[in-house]
Amino acid sequence: MNKDKNYESNQGEMRSRAISSVFFHPMLYKMIAIMLVGIFFVIPILRLVLMSFIGDDGFGLQFYQDILTDNRTWQVLQNTLFVVFGSTIISLLLGTAFAWIVAYTDIRLKSIVQLFIFLPFIIPSYITSLAWVQFFGPAGLLENIFDSLSIPITGWNLYSMSGIIFVMGISHFPLVYLFTVNVFRQIPREMELAARVSGAGRWMSFSKIVFPMALPGIVGGSFIAFLGGLDNFGIPAFLGTPANISVLSTYIYQKVIGFGTSAFNEAAVLSVILGVIAIIGISLQWLVLRKSKRIETMKVDHQPRYYLGKKKGIVESVIWLFFIMTSIFPLLSMVMTSFLKAYGLDFVWENFSLENYAYILTRDSTLDAIMTSVKLAGVTTIIGIVAGTVFAYFRVRKANTATKLMENAITIPYALPGTVLALAMIFTWMEPIPGWNPGIYGSAAILYIAYITRFLVLQVRSGITAFQQVDIEVEEAARINGTNGFGKWKKIMVPLIAPGILSGAMLVFLSALTELTVSSLLYSSESETIGVSILSFQQSGYTLYSTAFSSLIVVLIIAGYFILFAGQKAIRKRKVRSEK
Amino acid sequence: MSTTLSNINKQFGKFQALQDIDLTINEGEFLAILGPSGCGKTTLLRLLAGFESPTNGTIEIDQKEVANARKVTPPEQRNVSMVFQSFALWPHLNVREHIQFAMDHHRFVDLSWKEKGKIAERIEDVLHTVGLGDFEKRMPGELSGGQKQRVSLARAIAPEPKLLLMDEPLSNLDAELRMEMRHEIQKLHRLTKASILYVTHDQGEALAMADRIVVMNGGEIEQIGTPEEIYYHPVTPFVATFVGKANLFKGTWDECLFQHQGTGVTWEDYGISQQLKEKNLFPIRPEQIHLSKPVPSENQILGKVITRQFQGKEYHYSIEIDGTVIVAHLPLQEKFEIGETIAITPQFQTAKQAEMIL
Repeated sequence: MNKDKNYESNQGEMRSRAISSVFFHPMLYKMIAIMLVGIFFVIPILRLVLMSFIGDDGFGLQFYQDILTDNRTWQVLQNTLFVVFGSTIISLLLGTAFAWIVAYTDIRLKSIVQLFIFLPFIIPSYITSLAWVQFFGPAGLLENIFDSLSIPITGWNLYSMSGIIFVMGISHFPLVYLFTVNVFRQIPREMELAARVSGAGRWMSFSKIVFPMALPGIVGGSFIAFLGGLDNFGIPAFLGTPANISVLSTYIYQKVIGFGTSAFNEAAVLSVILGVIAIIGISLQWLVLRKSKRIETMKVDHQPRYYLGKKKGIVESVIWLFFIMTSIFPLLSMVMTSFLKAYGLDFVWENFSLENYAYILTRDSTLDAIMTSVKLAGVTTIIGIVAGTVFAYFRVRKANTATKLMENAITIPYALPGTVLALAMIFTWMEPIPGWNPGIYGSAAILYIAYITRFLVLQVRSGITAFQQVDIEVEEAARINGTNGFGKWKKIMVPLIAPGILSGAMLVFLSALTELTVSSLLYSSESETIGVSILSFQQSGYTLYSTAFSSLIVVLIIAGYFILFAGQKAIRKRKVRSEK
Repeated sequence: MSTTLSNINKQFGKFQALQDIDLTINEGEFLAILGPSGCGKTTLLRLLAGFESPTNGTIEIDQKEVANARKVTPPEQRNVSMVFQSFALWPHLNVREHIQFAMDHHRFVDLSWKEKGKIAERIEDVLHTVGLGDFEKRMPGELSGGQKQRVSLARAIAPEPKLLLMDEPLSNLDAELRMEMRHEIQKLHRLTKASILYVTHDQGEALAMADRIVVMNGGEIEQIGTPEEIYYHPVTPFVATFVGKANLFKGTWDECLFQHQGTGVTWEDYGISQQLKEKNLFPIRPEQIHLSKPVPSENQILGKVITRQFQGKEYHYSIEIDGTVIVAHLPLQEKFEIGETIAITPQFQTAKQAEMIL
């Protein structure tokens, strides 16, 4: 009787296969996927590069000549390098120090410390800039506090080079931390013990053994901070513009909105320069990391290695003072400012009101901005979950040159500075086919395309990690038990990958929700985003509204993360970890 | 039901993983595939499961072709089941749900169970067979290695597949548990009457459990036979050394007489296969060697004891002869010192004597 069943099921299979071979040939899907990746991720970059060469008089180096002989360009380049290197050094020092302390010492409340380390990462950098100004700046909370103690001080003018460098350094140090902390934990403690029994002191064993072994992480994180600095638009836009300090990303923006005769072409040239600097950075990182020996396979060791003893109190105080000064007080100042009746008033009870919130919450344009951003982020997230997860599955299970190249292509729009991507989007989607303008540029559609292109890689990466954690045999076990379709996905795969996919989706959603760089160049009157709206408040001098709006967003973000953690906990409850 | 592989070849790029494999697994047979890592045994298993497709050749299960170079029936549509090396338990499902999954989805589960609502009964049955009756609510993370193995076995046997594939199922267990699980697997084989294809690199497992053993090396079959045939009558140098851990002496064969290279000492045939004779080799397993004090007047094979290891019921010696090292296992009564020069002879002088000892 089994024999009969076998016969039947295989008959059915033969029939469906005959049909599928015509319409659903796997090659067809592959071709479509490659084409889509080409159109959305590769062609825009090519068109951008082309645009820097082609003007009304045809192909040539005219624009390069114009830009490179302009003194202003060299000033901007110099500013850019100062800002990027300065902030990277700050990120490097802070990131490494925090990573070492969290990985190796026995300080208390590590998980909360870690939460505060990630805070600058979670809150968009333009909001951080705003918060710092409200705390450190002239007439800020710090000045106020000292005034009330009758110690006259002048606030730190953050609308300056030093302001940009510091805020950027603080915003990007979590990247270095993130790359370094697990590398520290993975270095077997025996390595250091071996150095110690060979006669090296503490400092010697750190500098000769631990530090060189952690170098790949430190270098990797620093390069990411470097790229982040090149990419960052929010901080120089908020802090640099009032002081007339331009870096490449803001300078490109100014060119584009300046609408000169060859504005687009010159912006394209600047974008190519910025892109080339970024690519040099990426290549250098790749070269440095390629030579270093990986220790990825080693076990992550969470046990402390240094017991600080009496010094523990001092170290913890320094850490918390740092968080208070860089995160808690600035954010608090921003929130307090947002309640002021008028800018510059003292922080006393009589001066507080809800007027600013009432204003932004009743005004159509801010409500529209919130709607636009939520819709953009929602659509980007949903498309990301579907396309990103499907691609990640094939990338992990059918690893080949084609999928690898496609992954690289998907990474480009995220790795490139946002202004460069925005410009590439304009050139590509203004007239997708030369001579045909379907009105994508100038409507919200271009923002949808740009966001999906920019953030898809985040979903793909988290999808890849999720699938890599599902052993191939776990999936094969489902197949051998008779299901390769709905049953396998519903009962086995989805429950296993859901936590990873969800946290990726959350990252996409929050990144898209507070995005500023790309939307500042692509928004139109009916598609202002939250970031653009806060920027325009700030640039028109409405500090109270921008602080109120920012405070609202910070609350939303923190709420979002709480929902994420709660959701993940609920999922994990069911899933008991299996040690393999 | 039998399974037949005809002229199977499998290439990964330029690498020839399997070459001209012809093999039949008979109904109810326990067949072990034995070989070192990289010999192609796992590829062979994955071809039968349907996770790989052959470069050429055909596979038939139950008189139905399931794979050729152009078309492959996917694993979910074959009447097979598999026990994975890593156990491949689903971390989010408990023990009972593992078996439930197999009963719900395997395409060859006896329909009468489903019709009469006897699935739950069957699950109870299988849980008791593998001794997990009290653990049905446990999650994989809460199980020991041996219990995980039992879940993996239970999931595989529950749908009563006609062919059960086992991919080194004991290699993730510690030594003692491995011995225990051998008995379990033999018991399951008796109970289920399914054909079992058991892949392993451990000759002990293959010899202990299998009805027949296929020894593989370098993508090819070296020898197929019963455990006794493989052990006592290896036909290739590889089988002699890999399965029986035999020492190989070089020399020349003249009918039933083997003359050692160099010394001219002669040993008699004790039933050595024609193939090895043609290669002018004399295989002798460690326990077949006899050591004695050399007699000066006689022409003997002489060696020097390099190491001696006490193993409880015997001593293991390694002995150097003209730069090559051989291994001999001797009972405790005969003890030789390290550095001592000794004479090496087979324990038996004729085929008849050999048969008596074996």
